[in-house]
Amino acid sequence: MEQYLFFLTILFPILGACLIPFLPYRRRTDMLIYLEFLCLVTSALVLTLLYLSPQGTYTLFRFNSRLSVSFHLDAMGKLFGAMVAFLWPLAVLYSFEYMKHESNEKSFFLFYIVTYGVTLGIAFSENIVTLYFFFEALSLVTLPLVMHTRTREAILASRTYLYYMIGGAAFAFIGMVFVLTYGTTASFLPGGVMDLAKIGNRTNVIYLVYILSFFGFGIKTAVWPFSNWLPKAGVAPTPVTALLHAVAVVNTGAFAVMRITYYSFGADYLRGSFAQYTVMGFVLFTIVYGCSRALKETHLKRRLAWSTVSNLSYILFGVVLMTPLGLTGALCHMLFHSFMKITSFFCAGSVIYKTGKNYIHELDGLGRRMPKIFILFAISAFALMGVPGLAGFVSKWSLAYAAIDSREPLAYIGVGCLLVSALLTAIYMVTILVRAFFPGKDFAYSSLQDITDPNWYMLLPLFVFAAVVIFFGIHPAPVLELLASISGV
Amino acid sequence: MNIFLLAPIFISFLAGLALLVWSFREKRTPSSHKTEAKPWPARTLFLSALSLSALCTVFCSLKVTGSVVLFHLFSKLPIALSLDSLGRFFVLTVTLIWVVVGFYSITYLTREGEEKRFFGFFLLLYGVLYCLGCSQNLVTMYLFYELMSLTSFPLVLHNGSREAIMASLKYLFYSMCGAYMGLFGIFVLYHTLPDLSFVAGGSASQALLSQGDGLLPVAILIMLLGFSVKAGMFPLHAWLPTAHPVAPSPASAALSGIIVKCGVLAIIRVMYYIIGPSALQGSFLLTVLQSLSLITVFMGSLLAFREKVFKKRLAYSTVSQVSYILFGLFIVTPQGVQGALLHLLFHAIVKCGLFLTAGVFLYSFGYTRVDQLQGVGKKMPVTLWCYTFFALALVGIPPTCGFLSKWYLAQGAFASTAGVFRFLGPVILLVSALLTAGYLLPITMDGFFVTKETTVHADKPCEPSLWMLIPLLILALLTLGLGLFPNAILSFTQSLSDSLFQTVSTLFIIR
Amino acid sequence: MEFVQNLPFLSIIIGLFSGPLCSILDGTWAKRVNLFVVALLGFMQALVFAFTLRTNTSYVYTMGHFSAPWGNEIRIGVLEAFMATFFCLIMLLCLISGTREREHEVEEGKWNLYYIMVNLLLCSILALIYTNDLFTAYVFVEINTISACGLIMIKQTGRTIEASVRYMIMSLLGSGLLLLGISYLYGLTGHLLMSNIKEQVHIIVANGQYTVPLMVAISLICVGLAIKSALFPFHTWLPDAYGYSTVSSAAILSSLVSKGYIFLLVKIIYRVIGFDLFSQSKVIHLLFFLGIAGMIMGSVDAIKENDLRRMIAFSSVAQIGYIYMGFGLGTTAGMIASLFHILSHAATKSLLFVAASGLRDASQGTTNIHEINGSGYRNKLAGIAFTVGALSMVGIPLFSGFISKLLFSQAGVSHPDKLFPTLFALAISTILNALYFMKTVIRIYSPEKKAQTSGDTKAPNIGILDQPAKSLAYVLFILVNIVLCFESEPIIDLLTRGLELFS
Repeated sequence: MEQYLFFLTILFPILGACLIPFLPYRRRTDMLIYLEFLCLVTSALVLTLLYLSPQGTYTLFRFNSRLSVSFHLDAMGKLFGAMVAFLWPLAVLYSFEYMKHESNEKSFFLFYIVTYGVTLGIAFSENIVTLYFFFEALSLVTLPLVMHTRTREAILASRTYLYYMIGGAAFAFIGMVFVLTYGTTASFLPGGVMDLAKIGNRTNVIYLVYILSFFGFGIKTAVWPFSNWLPKAGVAPTPVTALLHAVAVVNTGAFAVMRITYYSFGADYLRGSFAQYTVMGFVLFTIVYGCSRALKETHLKRRLAWSTVSNLSYILFGVVLMTPLGLTGALCHMLFHSFMKITSFFCAGSVIYKTGKNYIHELDGLGRRMPKIFILFAISAFALMGVPGLAGFVSKWSLAYAAIDSREPLAYIGVGCLLVSALLTAIYMVTILVRAFFPGKDFAYSSLQDITDPNWYMLLPLFVFAAVVIFFGIHPAPVLELLASISGV
Repeated sequence: MNIFLLAPIFISFLAGLALLVWSFREKRTPSSHKTEAKPWPARTLFLSALSLSALCTVFCSLKVTGSVVLFHLFSKLPIALSLDSLGRFFVLTVTLIWVVVGFYSITYLTREGEEKRFFGFFLLLYGVLYCLGCSQNLVTMYLFYELMSLTSFPLVLHNGSREAIMASLKYLFYSMCGAYMGLFGIFVLYHTLPDLSFVAGGSASQALLSQGDGLLPVAILIMLLGFSVKAGMFPLHAWLPTAHPVAPSPASAALSGIIVKCGVLAIIRVMYYIIGPSALQGSFLLTVLQSLSLITVFMGSLLAFREKVFKKRLAYSTVSQVSYILFGLFIVTPQGVQGALLHLLFHAIVKCGLFLTAGVFLYSFGYTRVDQLQGVGKKMPVTLWCYTFFALALVGIPPTCGFLSKWYLAQGAFASTAGVFRFLGPVILLVSALLTAGYLLPITMDGFFVTKETTVHADKPCEPSLWMLIPLLILALLTLGLGLFPNAILSFTQSLSDSLFQTVSTLFIIR
Repeated sequence: MEFVQNLPFLSIIIGLFSGPLCSILDGTWAKRVNLFVVALLGFMQALVFAFTLRTNTSYVYTMGHFSAPWGNEIRIGVLEAFMATFFCLIMLLCLISGTREREHEVEEGKWNLYYIMVNLLLCSILALIYTNDLFTAYVFVEINTISACGLIMIKQTGRTIEASVRYMIMSLLGSGLLLLGISYLYGLTGHLLMSNIKEQVHIIVANGQYTVPLMVAISLICVGLAIKSALFPFHTWLPDAYGYSTVSSAAILSSLVSKGYIFLLVKIIYRVIGFDLFSQSKVIHLLFFLGIAGMIMGSVDAIKENDLRRMIAFSSVAQIGYIYMGFGLGTTAGMIASLFHILSHAATKSLLFVAASGLRDASQGTTNIHEINGSGYRNKLAGIAFTVGALSMVGIPLFSGFISKLLFSQAGVSHPDKLFPTLFALAISTILNALYFMKTVIRIYSPEKKAQTSGDTKAPNIGILDQPAKSLAYVLFILVNIVLCFESEPIIDLLTRGLELFS
């Protein structure tokens, strides 16, 4: 019974989405009803699953006796699944309005919802093979979304996207083969599965492989030097950039890195090794690099994308601290960043949808015309900067606490990087807000006559996300306790 | 009863937001772009909210002793408000300046336009500063410290020129930079001292500071440097001379009078309420900080001396004077702290007065440069007299209050064990006072005693409106009055600074 | 002796004699006979396979009951029978799918010539797989070469003639070296039958004599066969030969002919030289190095290529590099990975060639990579087929390429010294594969460029039923691909058992 629940949860959105192009719709809203039906049912299934929380391992199919695609529900998967299940229905609501003026929306929603199923597959994956399988699948099903507009730019971007993804998978593959060869099992077990007897004196090899697979899985989180794809993929429609390239896809990367670090290679095994320092060095560089690139960027969505690059490395920073507290911080930032960044992207998307303006210098004075959108944007911006009372501060706090607790000099520098990045975030976010709200003395508002806030399809998800950001900012204790129990502090 | 602590916040936030929304709505109709038909409803709202919350604040600081928890950030870390004596001191100073500047700005803002927005942010800022003063622990303070930067920068960019926007961003980013440096320290401190609530005299022992891998002292240094950004200490003082001249004069007065003191407040809180003077005694941190503050004292005066733009000169003067306060804090003696507290109050009054005077000249004649002020005494004798008192106080001439604070600062330096700074400090303070006289008093001279060529300007007196004049007079009276009858304030600050130097254990016994 | 055991011999003979039969029939009938023969042979091989699987033995079939060392033998085991069955299947699919092109591109008078060549080719491949005699192997290698040349040349344009001449020269060079190697071995051991040679080799090695000549012989054989199977840097003949010939020729050549040689090499390694001796020799390092170089350089060439079919052909160079890298590891795991890759590559590469021809049909006959935009929409099934092929090549799970990549890397991981070279080569080659294959996939789903002149006729849409043979082939190829992935375990089992039976 529970077995089928698992399969249903993952396959329902995938199979249901395949029907989207073929159903007869009388009106456009009929499609919305169907889409929301798919999403809500899937989310309900996820919640049922979380409620029942079956303990077994359920195999969907096998490649061979050792390689199986199977599912298991553990606390971390629950968290990720719940997050995804919360975001998707709202994001679909938003995108339904957003895609009004774009062509080929049926194929868009097909892949958009298939991605939901694939992401859930990653959340519930029981072993590294399943993870890898869905990881590859995710790259492929999101590809059509990136090239959706089919402009030359989109095609080029999708190529870059794919190359990076496949390249990442190629190195992730190495990690997978290692775990299969040197692990006692392919499953994810807390503390790792490395067979120390089998490794013998070849520890350096394993460390090196860890670094490779870190980058392999980490390409999805756009760790430097593999971060260029993320801003480029911003040519996709905003719902894609917002939900996938700020939340789902990139977080699966972070999630995968958590899995291999804490559940396959084992954090205790890696802590203090050169592998840890190497990856941490790259992560810290990415934190600052992403922000600096965001600062230089004048294209609104690309600026947010670079900001995502930096913030994702916050998550990775928590991961590579290799302590339970670090994992708590990483999970916390993964959760909160999703809400913050999806809010800011959706705001940017609304601006683009309403005005067609893509560049920051075109945003002058829009704050008066679209007050709701820009106030929401301000909330997300302040949260990203880490203003206390909003979610971003809490996650930054737990990351910094973990870093100081780890007593690694490099981690101390990491705290510094976090703060430098926070300052840069302040610079690139506040300049947007200042433009929007304070366009200057003699700004002619008459040039923005017809622009208003969008309708509730777009506002509702935004308000919900912003409310979540504020709620977690002032009442994070339950979430933090939950996260601490996940990472076993 | 404790909940009454929230009343000033509630009133000022509500009124501030209402004013902001009001100004926002207005913009939607393009017809009312330039002229505002009825200015008085908004002004009344502003003034009544300001007075009401000021009254509540005074009431709270006299009567309320408990604490209010807003929410729990973490299970061990509440965001809580309570008023201790330093908090009272700060909150009352803020209230004084705010009321004075608030009334002053009614007239002044007719020059700048967008009154409602200004009033709105001004009230919000008041609420935030009140919370900052009331903060019960370090994280609460940090929260309002950040909010203070965010709500004060719209005041700087008020006139909307490109220059003002750039200056406000510079101000914001310097503040953020400082705040994040402070945050680094908070992270580290939280790890060592999980209870970050303020205890007079601090709770860290010397052993704690020296143990471990040396992270803690470095973090504290970074933290103090970070908070001193707001206080305009070298090397991160550059925002001050940029932000002050472009802001409307009431805003500069508030910035110079109060906002820079927030940095000072944060430093007092960290040094004397978290770590404690006994733990800091003799640490290398103090040497670094003392030298930086003395450099700033001297450099600020020198730059002010060279500067020709009036408000910029005052801004450099702020740089110099606030570092007096910092020096008083960094030498870690009771007298030094007392001097610092006194100077905090006095400088707030005096510098606020100076900026308001500058605002009068700017408002009435459009004068921005010092050399334009020749003969201004003929036209505005009362204003210039007020100016003269402020100037004397800033130099530290006896009947005015500035003398007292400098006296205690010098006493504190002599009583300290700070090596070469024991003597060098007072000397630099003295030299800087001479420079202060050099850059402030010539304006009085030129204003009253006109040279031949400039007699053209000499007209009959045309004092500004009473909305502007009365605040100036109040401040001038305070300058004199506190200098002549200082006993109440002296005993208050003395008991405050003494309490900071008692060990924690005895404090508990007293309670 | 059961009747089934005669079938391998019979099938070679049938293949050989159906050639002349085709020559007297007219084109259409020749095609039917040919298809029937291929299907029949496939069925016979399947029977043999079933028999060997049931008995789990290998047996030697002595022709005319002349026993060793004089007689001529063929040897049938699990591995041989399986390979033969599989090759027949692929061959059948290739032939079905290419019918229309063939009839279009080949002059009508030469139709039966084509089928003669195909029959000869199949028979020679079967012979290469089954033979237990080095000289027989050599003879069939030559037959194979000639018939392959014929298949290339049958579409008579200038380029195919040039290509086949090139192919001929390189191939003959390869056979020459092979012959030289065989004669060295003959000189050293005095035998031509594989099992006999192996006994002698053991003795020689045990005595420590003739190590240098033995090495030379091994190297000559390896290099000779490597040239024939287009190992880098001997691959220059390949892109032209595969790229310009008619589609079923290209598919057959790329998936079967070179694999026949490789299988022969495996056979020689195990049955003539002995695996232990081989894995201790220095030759494996050479093969390993050349394999990796081929993987990289083949892909690089493919990236530079603008013609779809030549691109796929260059990709073959890379894939053959994989196989030799597996040999070069010198472990049984590496061998199994290589053998599996032979299967997987045969299924995938022919799928790609066929799909490419489908895409060409939907793009007004051009295979220039810049002009096939949007063909994936016009010919949906071909688009899907190409995508599947590409994904399999890149090594995405669900398709056979994933399993072979997995096997290679597992073999590499357990090798103490060649661990990182193998893994890096695999990773880089995966990325390079993605670079050209996925680029093409994106291209076929990109919108068409604006037509240059308005007079251009629009490229036709091709439905699933417009080309039933091809559509069937796509589906079957995709199925084979997926089956190879999901049933990899029994297949690997088979390969392991077969290798055990080999020695």
